[in-house]
Amino acid sequence: MTIASDGQSVGTAWWRGRALRRFARHRLAVTGTLLIVLLTLACVFGPLLLPYDELHIDLRARFSPPLTGDHYLGTDPLGRDLAARLLMAGRVSLLVGFAAMLLSTLIGVVIGIIAGYRGGWLGNALMRFTDAFLCFPQIFLLLALAAFIKPDPLMITIIIAATSWMEIARIVSAEIRSLRERDFVLAARMAGASHRWIMFRELLPNAIGAIIVAATLTVARAILIEAYISFLGYGIQPPLPSWGNMLNNAQQYLASAPWLAIIPGIAITLAVTSFNFIGDGLRDALDARSDLK
Amino acid sequence: MTVRKTPFLCLTRRGVMQLGIGAAAAGLLPTIAGQVLAAEPSGQVIVGFSQEPTVFNPHMLHIEVDEGIHWNVFDPLFGVDENGTFFPALAAEVPTVENGGISPDGLNWRVKLRDDVVWHDGTPFTAEDVKYTLELLVDENFRSARRTGHELIRNIEVVSPTEITWEMTEPFAPYPSILAWTFMVPKHALGSAEDPNTAAFNQAPIGTGPFKWVERVAGDYILLEANENYWGEGPHLERLIFKYIPDLTVLYTQFKTGDIDVIALQGITPDHYQEATGLPGKEIVLAPSSAMESISLNMGRPQFQDPAVRQALYLALDKATIIDALYYGLPRPTESYYPQESFYYNKDLPKHEFNIEKANQILDEAGWARGDDGIREKDGVRLSFSNSTTAGNHVREQMQQFVQQSFKEIGAEMTIENLPPAVMWGDYWMLSQWDSVVVGINFTTGPDPDTSDYFKSTGINAQGGSGQNTWQINNPEVDALLEKGGKLFVPEERKEVYDRIQEIMREDLPFLPIFQYANVRGHQEGMEGYNPNVNVRITTWNAKDWKVN
Amino acid sequence: MSRYLIHRFGQSLVLLILVSLVGFMVLNLAPGGPLSQFALTPGMSQADLERIAAQMGLDRPLPIQYLDWFWRLFVGDWGNSFRDGVPVLEVIGRHLFATLLLMISSTIISVGIGTVVGVMGATRRYSLFDYTATVLAMVALSIPTFWFGLVAIYTFALDLGWLPAGNMYTIGDQSFADYATHLIMPSLVLALVNVAIWSRYMRSAMLDVIDQDFIRTARAKGLPRWRVLYLHVMRNALLPMITLAGLQLPTLLGGALVTETVFTWPGMGRLFLDSLGYQDYPVVMGLLMFSAMLVLVGNLLADILVALADPRVRLE
Repeated sequence: MTIASDGQSVGTAWWRGRALRRFARHRLAVTGTLLIVLLTLACVFGPLLLPYDELHIDLRARFSPPLTGDHYLGTDPLGRDLAARLLMAGRVSLLVGFAAMLLSTLIGVVIGIIAGYRGGWLGNALMRFTDAFLCFPQIFLLLALAAFIKPDPLMITIIIAATSWMEIARIVSAEIRSLRERDFVLAARMAGASHRWIMFRELLPNAIGAIIVAATLTVARAILIEAYISFLGYGIQPPLPSWGNMLNNAQQYLASAPWLAIIPGIAITLAVTSFNFIGDGLRDALDARSDLK
Repeated sequence: MTVRKTPFLCLTRRGVMQLGIGAAAAGLLPTIAGQVLAAEPSGQVIVGFSQEPTVFNPHMLHIEVDEGIHWNVFDPLFGVDENGTFFPALAAEVPTVENGGISPDGLNWRVKLRDDVVWHDGTPFTAEDVKYTLELLVDENFRSARRTGHELIRNIEVVSPTEITWEMTEPFAPYPSILAWTFMVPKHALGSAEDPNTAAFNQAPIGTGPFKWVERVAGDYILLEANENYWGEGPHLERLIFKYIPDLTVLYTQFKTGDIDVIALQGITPDHYQEATGLPGKEIVLAPSSAMESISLNMGRPQFQDPAVRQALYLALDKATIIDALYYGLPRPTESYYPQESFYYNKDLPKHEFNIEKANQILDEAGWARGDDGIREKDGVRLSFSNSTTAGNHVREQMQQFVQQSFKEIGAEMTIENLPPAVMWGDYWMLSQWDSVVVGINFTTGPDPDTSDYFKSTGINAQGGSGQNTWQINNPEVDALLEKGGKLFVPEERKEVYDRIQEIMREDLPFLPIFQYANVRGHQEGMEGYNPNVNVRITTWNAKDWKVN
Repeated sequence: MSRYLIHRFGQSLVLLILVSLVGFMVLNLAPGGPLSQFALTPGMSQADLERIAAQMGLDRPLPIQYLDWFWRLFVGDWGNSFRDGVPVLEVIGRHLFATLLLMISSTIISVGIGTVVGVMGATRRYSLFDYTATVLAMVALSIPTFWFGLVAIYTFALDLGWLPAGNMYTIGDQSFADYATHLIMPSLVLALVNVAIWSRYMRSAMLDVIDQDFIRTARAKGLPRWRVLYLHVMRNALLPMITLAGLQLPTLLGGALVTETVFTWPGMGRLFLDSLGYQDYPVVMGLLMFSAMLVLVGNLLADILVALADPRVRLE
């Protein structure tokens, strides 16, 4: 099962023209893009506009429900402003999500390209390596790696990336293998291009559609995994907020202070859904066959 | 050699009863008296634990929650109640100097046993079983959890099926307390196994206790049923079930819905206490525990070697707010590591004071000057340290963040680095690889005040010693006092020694004491017989007295 | 075919060894250890811990420990749990039932609903139904499970009192009806995500087939719409779904972890988490091997099924 491979050999300018127009017509994808832009802007600039900073503890104001005075979203068990924490947490979670996506895509693409293009002994070894990683349950990798490190955002990012690059590696290597014997590659080879040139300048751009779709979905998954790690108790350390640890620390107050769980829950769902919409839209847009209809 | 005053003069209800049984046993069939006293057991109780009991051989390495099972399946020779008083169990009487059970120098022991006790499989309990147990504890091939005290025993002799004697190589005052936590195991069941470490017994224990083992569904529950032939009073319950519910929020929810009858172990988290007291059909009990919560400081770190720093940090610790706001006023503030119920608790320790100004002043005077970022520094040492604890304890994490803010006000930077339990309490803790730690420690074995493992300089694992002195306390006076206290048998004399040690700890502050734990326990209305006891580690220690209506 | 199988088998064996080696290293090199949990016991000392570690053979050099473990595995002895001394295979077996029960019931639900939703979405592409289904599926995929599970418990167990708050059965009852009522909530919560996945895959698989020539031919022949749909389209669209099912096999292990925790379901995920938490090496290694085998078997099954169903695919 490979992502549709026809059509991508058309050229490198996939983002111009039809694909973009198709994406723009995909209403959910556009909504998703808008939401992500809005969320990102809010997380970057929002904290500057709020009257409280996210670490200020005020026990007298603890457990204020939303719309209490200047606490637009209420306060947490230590009386910290929830709106400020939510937005700062958004910075952390979105950053972790993006960084993990970049890192895992990088690992996956490099391994996938080499494995797919070279094939033979090296390619086989790399793919077996990928398979071996897939054999480990994700929870094992997450927790075993968590035992080695101090859980700050950078380390969490590395852990997430280290446990989610395999799919991209598989997609890329399958893609490359199918492209490897095409005319344009043979032509480049005859023209005396180096292997590296062929891999990264000729083949990679042709596989980029599939990579982008997978990468988008990886962001979505990374945000969820961050929450998952928090649930398991190995997440980002207090007092730094992340959506995951906010949600996790709220579960005991689900009955008495439900907003503590609902607000970060909505934030996560919104962000993840948006990325999934974008991924869906991209898939449709980059799939040449949908033109036939 | 009594541990507290003269326990044998104050006969408890249980003591009187056992006298009755003893008298009957002398003449007639022993079981008749037992049956007259105990009504037919009825009903069941489901106890919810947030950790899973997995070790059923009481002498193998285990954790608190396993003792919840041990207390109900097994019996010690004698136990200890909530007042620190010993009461006879499998022994006919608690050996004391007065009754000739222990020689005046503390070296020779003679224990008389009940003659009406049978193991759950019907085999009679005899002195051979006691001998076997004591020998097993120091058996080289057995993975015995605890040898302290037992190692001193020599020449165990079975005088008759109901009498056993042994010698000790040196007087050891804590030994009665250790014995009160030492459960007797059957020679015929465990001794016949090829390897006691892997014996079938370890997964289907046979004891003399009020409840018999029925089954365990791994990862789910353990089922015990009433032992109809129990030698003592009770049990009143027909079935006792221990259910494993890993998540505290879920545990509490299932208590609310009635899926479990009792929340044991850590119980209900303090932030649910208020709500829990309003639940219809539930009773909420505050049970003091002997564990003390502290911020422990690693004295091997340059930041903490200066006593001024430790004093300043204690002054900057807003204990009142932590206890009142974050812990809802449930635990009691303390200055000592002994529970306030203990005979050895020193009431006269200086009271803690929250005073940021004074803390700043002390640090200024000691030469810790603030740097550009507001963090103090002296001789190239930044007043900056990490603070760790087991990850996932929500209320404790709130406290850490609150303390972090207070410490910042005196120019001390504390970063939070919590770890998973298996990492936290491994070499990291034992070999003093941490800066500071929030930890609740139970310093005592039952009612005994001996803290040699914790405070003697020979107990610093990081420096080649062996013990639990992870703060790296190295104080010759404390060493000498502990040495002395371990050999004293008169409680009043011992108290003087341990009072002084408490003073030194309060002055030195290797750990900043915060509070003595209070566990919030909940059970269904109409359940009787629950009795908190700071001298044991688990609230299900007396399930034989529980009744449901 | 048989040459192919032998080749795959050899490859799988190498993979298993690789996985076990890496797993063993990672586990043993991680800080802490199986005895850490006992450090806070009153009277415990480092010397006691070291003595017991030596008695358990944990002080031997790692390569020796590994080879010892591997040799035993080879002769069928998976070792005993450090926590309760029970043989590892027995531990896994006991938890497997709970997980299978949950997984099978939730899979039935999710495949059932997922197929219907997917087919309807594909046949009425870009309709209001298709949009709603897409949005709901995406949202379902995005909700953190533990959050959703807790909300469900609060609503249906606490507020409404319709369903039990968790557990696999009432101890002492354990009738079919009892199991069934306890199954409803966890399997629905678990199915939520899977319905989303299945419906999305079904939709795209259907679309892949609908556009193909033989369907147009069938349509052109004048066959009734439902016949084309069910006999031609669905039969072909189910092919990739078989592959998917094979690939989903390994999620048996960790996939239900959160659901198991929230609903106190004594399954494999929970076992894995607890064993990892206590660094119960024999059980963790056993689970690793078990899950790696599932992955390999799942992949192999998927490949074979596809080859059997589609003669154009040749296994080589």
